[in-house]
Amino acid sequence: MPHYYFHVHNSIGFVEDEEGRDLPDRDVARQEAIKGIRSILSEDVLGGFIDLAGRIEVVEEGSGDPALTVPFDEAVDVRT
Amino acid sequence: MIEAFLMKLRARDDVSAEEERALRAAIGEVREIGPDKTIIRAGDEISESTLLIEGLLCRYKDLRDGQRQIMELHVPGDFADLHSLTLKRLDHNVMTLTRCRLAMAPHEGLRKITADYPHLTRVLWFSTNLDAAIHREWMLSLGRRSALSRTAHFFCEMRIRLGLVGLADDDGYPLNLTQVDLAECLGLTSVHINRTLKELRERRLVEFRGGRVSIHDLAGLERVAEFDPAYLHLERRGR
Repeated sequence: MPHYYFHVHNSIGFVEDEEGRDLPDRDVARQEAIKGIRSILSEDVLGGFIDLAGRIEVVEEGSGDPALTVPFDEAVDVRT
Repeated sequence: MIEAFLMKLRARDDVSAEEERALRAAIGEVREIGPDKTIIRAGDEISESTLLIEGLLCRYKDLRDGQRQIMELHVPGDFADLHSLTLKRLDHNVMTLTRCRLAMAPHEGLRKITADYPHLTRVLWFSTNLDAAIHREWMLSLGRRSALSRTAHFFCEMRIRLGLVGLADDDGYPLNLTQVDLAECLGLTSVHINRTLKELRERRLVEFRGGRVSIHDLAGLERVAEFDPAYLHLERRGR
């Protein structure tokens, strides 16, 4: 099973994932990134702010380039 | 083999030499199990309780889509399911998180203790009450503490519980968990845990890396966690 790292870039800075996790494929990795973003945003909302400018870069072990990039604003449907 | 268990009990009450013999006599087979194995499933009929000798175990429940909530982490010296003596079937699962050494205590022997040793029975009852107290504190964390405070609280609790059985000092302790395990304890995602760990590290409170928790500022960590160890009932007295 491929091993994926989820590095977070947002206003707080860069959070490197040193551990990563085994997941079946990129689609599942993308779903995990989305869940992670929603979890972070929900905590931010409880603190009274929301910053959708971040992104998660998912890197597959053995490859330097991100397998995929998930912007925070793709994880939520924002209505005003 | 049951030294950690005795240390944990003797931190809260006296256990006489005769009571110690009765406990040792109640232990049967010892098993070695690899990591990430569910050793008890909710609903199974149980005829023995599991005492953790080495490694980390957890109690968990899960949803149909695979989401898992760990309700308590067990350290050496903990019974994972002393309550199965009266419940017969658990309403939760028990899983190894690391490689574990387990000592099995057949219910028949535990029932004999309840018949012959009233004080030792109360001490064992205390340990199931303690599990319930830990569950209540985790409910407070999961329902009300922020991700940062909840994670800090978890590290404070593990310091005390591992310290009681000689596995922690003021600087920290080994904790062989993955970010996913931690996320399942704290009701977060592994991505969120990673960010929370970074914040705790940058505030110079605690660092979790390579299977070790290094505490840099215990007072600061306890402040962020609103940690009050009263729920761990650390007072040594007759029970």
